[in-house]
Amino acid sequence: MMANSSLLCSRYGLLLRIALSSLILALIIWTVWPLLPFGRSRRPQTIVLYGFSIIEPAITKSVFPAFQKKWMAQTGQEVEMIASFAGSGTVTNQLIMGVPAELAILSTGLDAARLSESGTINGETWKLLPYGGVINRSPFVILVRPGNPKKIHDFSDLTRPGIRIVHPDPFTSGAANWAIIAEYGSAVRQPDADPDAGRSMLLGIWRNVVAQAGSGRAVRTQFDNGFGDALITYEQDALWSHSHGSAPFEIIYPHSTILSEHTLVVIDRNISEKRKELVQAFVDFLWSEEAQRLFVENGFRSVDEKLNSANRSFGYIADPFFIGDFGGWQQAKRTIIDEIWKNRVLKELRP
Amino acid sequence: MNKETYRKRVSGMLPAGFLILVMLPLLLLPLASVFIYALKGGLPKFASYLVTRDVLFALRFSVIIAFVTAGINTVLGTYAAYVLSKTRFPGREQLSIILSLPVAIPNVVVGTSLLLLWGPIGLFGQILGPLGIQPMFTAAGVLLAHIFVTFPYMLGTIKPVLDDLQTTYEEAAYTIGASRWQAFRYIIFPALKGGLLTGALLTFAHSLGEFGATVMVSGNLRLRTQTAPLYIFSQFEGGNIEAANSVAAILAVVSFILFSLILYFAGRTRIKEERR
Repeated sequence: MMANSSLLCSRYGLLLRIALSSLILALIIWTVWPLLPFGRSRRPQTIVLYGFSIIEPAITKSVFPAFQKKWMAQTGQEVEMIASFAGSGTVTNQLIMGVPAELAILSTGLDAARLSESGTINGETWKLLPYGGVINRSPFVILVRPGNPKKIHDFSDLTRPGIRIVHPDPFTSGAANWAIIAEYGSAVRQPDADPDAGRSMLLGIWRNVVAQAGSGRAVRTQFDNGFGDALITYEQDALWSHSHGSAPFEIIYPHSTILSEHTLVVIDRNISEKRKELVQAFVDFLWSEEAQRLFVENGFRSVDEKLNSANRSFGYIADPFFIGDFGGWQQAKRTIIDEIWKNRVLKELRP
Repeated sequence: MNKETYRKRVSGMLPAGFLILVMLPLLLLPLASVFIYALKGGLPKFASYLVTRDVLFALRFSVIIAFVTAGINTVLGTYAAYVLSKTRFPGREQLSIILSLPVAIPNVVVGTSLLLLWGPIGLFGQILGPLGIQPMFTAAGVLLAHIFVTFPYMLGTIKPVLDDLQTTYEEAAYTIGASRWQAFRYIIFPALKGGLLTGALLTFAHSLGEFGATVMVSGNLRLRTQTAPLYIFSQFEGGNIEAANSVAAILAVVSFILFSLILYFAGRTRIKEERR
């Protein structure tokens, strides 16, 4: 009896052991399959790109595939993009720490400047590219819940008590930096603005910020999941998610708002001699009419004004302004973001 | 009579029922929502999220890293446990505490400290940089992070077994002229088998799910250094909740299987020890 049961036990154990080891073996084979010589196809050429969050769908789903086709037709070579997307500040930190990016698309010129200060690139090289490195633009708008229950029509309405705002985080997100300039600018550009208008606008809005996220993309996911009454973000992100079946929301176009300018940076030290031609071709392609039209289709405003009429969903902005109106990013960062937002508004909110 | 046993059975199940009730909002429902969202669009859609190149790469990359991490930490952890348990030297206790610290340090800190050591501004990075070696943001960087983070699991499984192991067999082996290696190979190793398997599986499982340190050192490049948890995070951030949850569901199932195996092997080791 005893022997019988142990026999049974060992037979069961043997079966289990065989089943288990074949399972593990199968897992190992599946894992290393692409590394085996017969499982691998010829490796295509690659471009390594790091981008700020909301540029992802436009680049990976339309602009790059168009370039792929063009390069194939021109040279007969396959090319593939290896990419990573996160908040513009996060991407910049990764670039400074030495990720192997050949190209970077950053939300703000400020982040580009950090790359030159840290020696990641040799001086302000993006300024030598077409349009000073700007590949496209997008005005900053306010998203509200369907039917606009809180009656928000401009940035000034966001300062009312009881409005809950979700905002990207200025330490990691380019969108957040644009949003701060937009909020400040919309106040100081009013004809009867008093000298303190910008600060009190920022104070009013930031008092109502209930949640922050690391990137323009992440903060929209938060808003989509039902947090907050209002979100300040790129028009492109709003249009894009409208056309891709997100939760319903309305877009409010403020009277005055900023048009963000997204900057391409070429990281020369990471581009090997034999990849130079390919990377340069892609850089040129980004400003071609074909690529600019694709950006417009994806909700970005082209640097070429005459292409922008192609997208009917672009809203009207009475008083658009640019970072140049505040003396460029370096000065705006110092006088608006650091001196007013960081040193005064934040301290007043959390003394 | 029948009623009596019925009542006994119900009252026997009460504590479990209470446990499930408490755990429902804390653990079970969040886990369930992973599966609900993953399967929202139906099975074919679920499968279509899983067979993209990015997902297959991320899963493969995660499994390879987990295998290598488990392999390396099995050797390193066993050696560390052996040294800490069988030899005596000043500072032994403190060393053993330090080696167990990675479970308590936030994983993000592990990531940043690796960057600060191996990155371009770090001590090793400044030496290796001019030689053209940059382990961060490559598979090697991910591996370094995983070895660091999962090290205590092997040590923690093996060391108690070694501590409890009677020294008489080992001593007997030495008296008949066995070398240290022979004593290890024929006396200690057989006793450790179950623990080794448990520890290796535990390391594997933790490596498969590691996020905090990986996100700092991997560079998060699709088809290059993106692990499955990083893929889940980027998809979720990008609002592709179903794609994120499909991969999360796979990881959850794999973890369930792994931990069942861990329990099974841990149980068997205990039985063996009791028989002795």
